[in-house]
Order: sequence, then structure tokens, then C-alpha cells
Amino acid sequence: MTIPLPWLSVELFACAWILVLLAADLLLPEARKASLWLWTLAGLGICAILLAGQAIAGGHHLIQQMFLVDPFSRFFKALFLGTAAVVVVMTRPFGRHLAGRLGAFYLLLFTAVLGMLVLASVHDLLMLFLGLELLTFSLYIMAAYLRTEARSIEAGMKYLILGSLSSGFLVYGMALLYGFAGSTHFEAIRHAFEVGPVPPIAVAGLLLVMAGLGFKIAAVPFHLWVPDVYEGAPTPVVALLSVGSKTAGVVALTRLLFGAAPTMAGLWTNVLAGLSAATMLYGNLGAIPQTNIKRLLGYSSIGHAGYLLMGLSAGSQSGVEAVSFYLVAYFVSNLAVFLAVTWAGEQLGSDELEQYNGLSKRSPFLAAALFIGFLSLAGVPPLAGFVGKLFVMLRAVESGRLWLVAIGAVNVAISLYYYLMVIKRMYLDAPPTSTTFRLDRLATVTLSLLLLGVLWLGIVQEPLVRQILVSVRP
Amino acid sequence: MAENICFFAFAGLTLLAACTVVFARQPLYSVLSLLVVMFSLAALFVMLGAYLVAALQVLLYAGAVLVLFLFVMMLLNLEPEALARMRLFTLRGAGLVVGLAIALLLIAIVRRGGLAGTWQAAEGTVESLGTVLLRYYVLPFELTSFLILAAIIGAVSLAKIKHH
Repeated sequence: MTIPLPWLSVELFACAWILVLLAADLLLPEARKASLWLWTLAGLGICAILLAGQAIAGGHHLIQQMFLVDPFSRFFKALFLGTAAVVVVMTRPFGRHLAGRLGAFYLLLFTAVLGMLVLASVHDLLMLFLGLELLTFSLYIMAAYLRTEARSIEAGMKYLILGSLSSGFLVYGMALLYGFAGSTHFEAIRHAFEVGPVPPIAVAGLLLVMAGLGFKIAAVPFHLWVPDVYEGAPTPVVALLSVGSKTAGVVALTRLLFGAAPTMAGLWTNVLAGLSAATMLYGNLGAIPQTNIKRLLGYSSIGHAGYLLMGLSAGSQSGVEAVSFYLVAYFVSNLAVFLAVTWAGEQLGSDELEQYNGLSKRSPFLAAALFIGFLSLAGVPPLAGFVGKLFVMLRAVESGRLWLVAIGAVNVAISLYYYLMVIKRMYLDAPPTSTTFRLDRLATVTLSLLLLGVLWLGIVQEPLVRQILVSVRP
Repeated sequence: MAENICFFAFAGLTLLAACTVVFARQPLYSVLSLLVVMFSLAALFVMLGAYLVAALQVLLYAGAVLVLFLFVMMLLNLEPEALARMRLFTLRGAGLVVGLAIALLLIAIVRRGGLAGTWQAAEGTVESLGTVLLRYYVLPFELTSFLILAAIIGAVSLAKIKHH
């Protein structure tokens, strides 16, 4: 049995680049290690080129029954590479806290990327587990990376302990599914579900695996780690957690549910709808009393997980399409906000909301970026987030869950409230000092591009929608 | 006949050593008895034809894990009073519950006809395992190596002392 290596080129190159980064970290003189971010960016760029080559060649390829290379995986691999690239830009101002440990940080960033790439193509329980663990292991360590700060260590520890617990759920569920189907391949599991009879133990297995993935996307009731980890971990890592890890979790969940258990849709759509309602309400209500911007964004990311689950709970291809659009909109909006928060955090010396008072007078561009990013996250037209929410809710209407749409709509109003409170601070309150600050050129360009994406997706959806319609077939 | 004698000898040794693990007063003796358990289990695996599992049992458990146990124990160097203060009663209670549960499970399995005869002695050679691992499971296998690499790099970078 030969393995068609060209279809694994992106992952193979990522593996090779991890080793290159390892060698570079060991061999480069200390003074030149500051350039490692460029190496990382270059690696991501080459991955993107290889991915483009695969996209031109096109087609579906199931490798060894466990690794599916298709347009759906390529679409999300591109999104993951983009996320990692923006995170690298974010690490630039933050890098000086790391001193001699910068090389390992970028290496771990790349292993996280490898994990996400694998998750996009996952078609087997073993690969699902390994991809998730690769991503989460890297994140555990990166979350605790500022080891002189108690908060960062606390974030890493909490993430590690609750993450291990969820991995336990995941593996137990996988063991049950394996016992049921006699194989770890999604095809075999789907076949077993189709043929039936389905014993309760198989249903329990499916639900346990869903619980394990629910931890990754921070859905209630598996969200307990979110606020503390978001507050304590370095901001670029939080951005990766919030956008990369969540997207990877949603993609893996889609792969699992549509690839291995389409005949169980009657069960899991209802479970997802229930989780979605609880997640939206908890996340958005919890965000209101927050006084730290990273905690606030943590709760808001829980809220967004609810909308993503709402789209998946439609249980249809069009539901997945809506979720895909939502994820792209979330990618541009949330990364813009996190990029701004990283810079503001460096300049203000704190992530407390009080520090954001009068930000518009100290850095008009940063305040404007946060303004647009927050409105898009809240779902205000004509921004990307609005269209994403609209698509997701339309799918929920189609599937006949009007109550869920009503909860979603109420939550838009709640989220608008706490986002506007931050905007009020930035534009109406008096600044504590009158010193001004600016972003460096790279950050300005990246942030401008992201904001352009937010506006563009809000006004012209057709190209992206067309792309999604071509590529999304879970 | 010789096989039976061997089996009962090693099975008996396993049980005997396992009892010593539980009842020894010195933790060091417990660990050393555990070593005997591991070795006699490895012998049982050899009798089943699972040579690789036997080798791994010796290498990993007897070699690496137990040495780690010994290291920790010697580094901690617990005084007898400190040992006495440990709440052995709850530990024993928990152990009793788990032991009973496993016993019930085994009884249930044996009553249903057990596992005997359902499994042929698997091909436990390095060759057969390697074939499966590197032919059908090569992707997860390689990915695991990167998972371990990430863990090692992460552990080192978290524990590294600043050299400035």
C-alpha cells in the first residue's frame, strides 16, 4: 500500500519545518534569534503555496482510510494558516518578554498548526485524538509560557487539568465507538451506525466524544477553563485559542458528526441545539460584569461557540456552509480585536478595562479598530459578523427551531450592550494620561487588512459564499 | 505438562509478589516486589508468544517506570513518622472497592463463558506488530512522534533556567 505523498505535502512540510525551527533555535546565535518570527512566517507561506498547489489539482483523496484531503479540508487549512500568520505578527511586541525562549515558542506554534492541519483532514478516531492532542499540548505550554507571572502559570495549569479531563472523556468515548464498530475509521463507524442496531453504549460513545470536542470549542458546560485561561495566558496565545482552537474543534466536530454518524442526526442535532442555547446565554450574560478585556473576550468567545453550534444543529449541508461563513467572519473580526488588544496591552501595561478609558484620544487607529471589530462581533450591519449571524439563524429557521433563533436574537442585543460599554469607555471617558502611541508598520498593515476583510465580507459576500459552496461538503 | 508447571510457577510468583507490594511496610520493598511482578508477567507474556509485549514490559515498566518510582522515593526520603501519618485507611477503602469491582467483573466474564477460545494466540512478534504499525497506522505513528517532540520541547522550555 503506497501513500500518495503529494496529497500530504502540506503536513509533511509542516513536520519538516518544525525540525528546521528546532535546528535554527539551537544553532542560531542569540542575537539573531529575534528573526525567528520571519522563519515561522516563511514556513506558513510555503505551506500556503503547497496548499494552493493541491487546490489547483483538486479532488477528494482518502489516504489510508484515515486522512481525507478534499476541498472542505483545504478551505479550513487555509484559514488555520492565516490564523497562525496573524498570531506570529502579534508575537512581535510580546516577544521581548520571552528572552531566550523565543525559538521554542515558534516551534510550539508550528506544532499547533500541524495539529490543526491534521484536524481539518481527520477521518479516523486515532487521527482525531492525535491532532487534538498535538494542538492542545502546544497550547498548554504556550499558555504557561510567561512562567514568571503567576497568572500565566495558573492559566496553563487550569487548561492542562481540565484539558486532560476532557481528553479522558474523548478517549473513553472513542473506546466505546471502537468497541461498537470494530474499527477507528469514520467510514466503518458510519457503516455500523447505518446497519444497526445501535446499542446505548454506542450512543454514549458518540456523546462522550462530542463532550471532549465541546471542551475545545468552549461550549457550556465544558467552558469552565475559559475565563481564567484567557485572562492569564499571553494575548497572542489567547488569540490562537480563541480562533484557531475553536475553529479546529468545530471542523473536527463537523467531520465526526457528518462523516461517522450522519444517521444519528436526529439525536445530535437536538443535543447541539440545547448546548447552543445554554452556551449563548451563559457566554453573553457572563460577559456583562467583566472588568478585564481578555476575560470579556473569553466570555464573548463562549457566546460565539453557541452560534456555531446553532449552525451545526441544523444538521444539513447548508448549516455547515453557514458555519463556515461564520468562522471566516469570526476569524477576521476576532483576530482584529486581539491584535489591537495585544498592542494596547503592551502600551497600557494592563488588560484592565479602566485602562481603555479615552483610548480614542491616545491611539485613534487602535480605538477605531476595536470599534469596528466589536461591532462586527456583536453582529451589526454592514459588517462581517452580521452576515455570519444572519446565515446561521436562517439555517436554524429552516430546521424549524424558532425558539433557538429567538434566543440567538436576544443574545445579539445582550452582546451589543457589553461591547458598546467598552466603546463608550474608549470614546467618551477621559483618558488617565494624555500620552499617545502608535503601532509599528507590520501591525498596522495586518490590522488594516483584517478590518478591510470585516467591511468587505459585510458588504460583498458573493466571492466567499461561492467558494464555500464549492468546497464545503463535509 | 512442562508448560503448566511454568504457568503456575510464574502466576504464583506474580500473585505472591503482588501481595508483598500491598503488605510491605517499607515502600522500597513494595517497589522492589513490583519489579518481581513485572518480570513474572513478562514471563507469562513470553509463554503466550507475545514476545514484543514481554520485551516492552521489561524495558518500559521494569526498566523506566520502576526506576522513576525508586528515584522519587529516594529523593523524598520519607521518615517512618511521615509514612504513618498518611491516611492509609481511606486508601485501603478505595482499594477494597476497586478490587471488589474488578472481582465482580471477572466473575461475570467467566460465567458468560469467558474469553477462553475466542482469541488465538496473536502474532506477538516485532515483525507482525511493525508491519501493522508502519503499513496501516503509519500516519498516526509518525504524528505521535511529533506529539512527543512538542511535549519534550515544551517541558524543556518551561523548566529551562535563564542564562543571562
